Amino acid sequence: MSFLFGGRPQLSSAEKIAAAETEVEMVSDMFNRLSQSCTAKCIPPEYREPDLNKGESVCLDRCVSKFFEVNLKVSEKMQGEAAQKGGAGGGGMGGFGM
Amino acid sequence: MDGLNAQEQRELQGRMEKKQMKEFMTMYSRLVQRCFDDCVNDFTTKSLQSKEEGCVMKCVDKYLKGSERLGQRFQEQNVAMQSGQLPGR
Repeated sequence: MSFLFGGRPQLSSAEKIAAAETEVEMVSDMFNRLSQSCTAKCIPPEYREPDLNKGESVCLDRCVSKFFEVNLKVSEKMQGEAAQKGGAGGGGMGGFGM
Repeated sequence: MDGLNAQEQRELQGRMEKKQMKEFMTMYSRLVQRCFDDCVNDFTTKSLQSKEEGCVMKCVDKYLKGSERLGQRFQEQNVAMQSGQLPGR
């Protein structure tokens, strides 16, 4: 019951764990979405061979790269807009999705 | 993930393991659905024809290899992003 005593501005154990969990969750959620999009876009529904062919491999690599770029662009734009509106956004989190 | 003591680390670890299990199950059912949708469209027989089965096997192989590759690239990009540089290409 430490919260009854010291009015310390420190995070409780539960809060710290929750924060770490949220961080991991954001990354893994992003990976899941990327994974679904890129698989759908790069792997055609004919399965002639069990391996990724050259085209599919290159497509997947580029898809990941572009997904990150879009992520960054959207985050920059949203931050820019937020800054224009109020400038109140003190906590500049370096990009959504981490 | 810094600033956690040993007990907190363990708690987090436990939650991550549960989450991983859940994620694995989700991945599995997504894979079943995708390969079923892509490979099985003919219902004139009751069980899988050899062509369909072959398709499913290749589908699973390909999907798993794709996921692995995506994971590697994701990791690389994520590290690059954390260190603040975006690799332009």
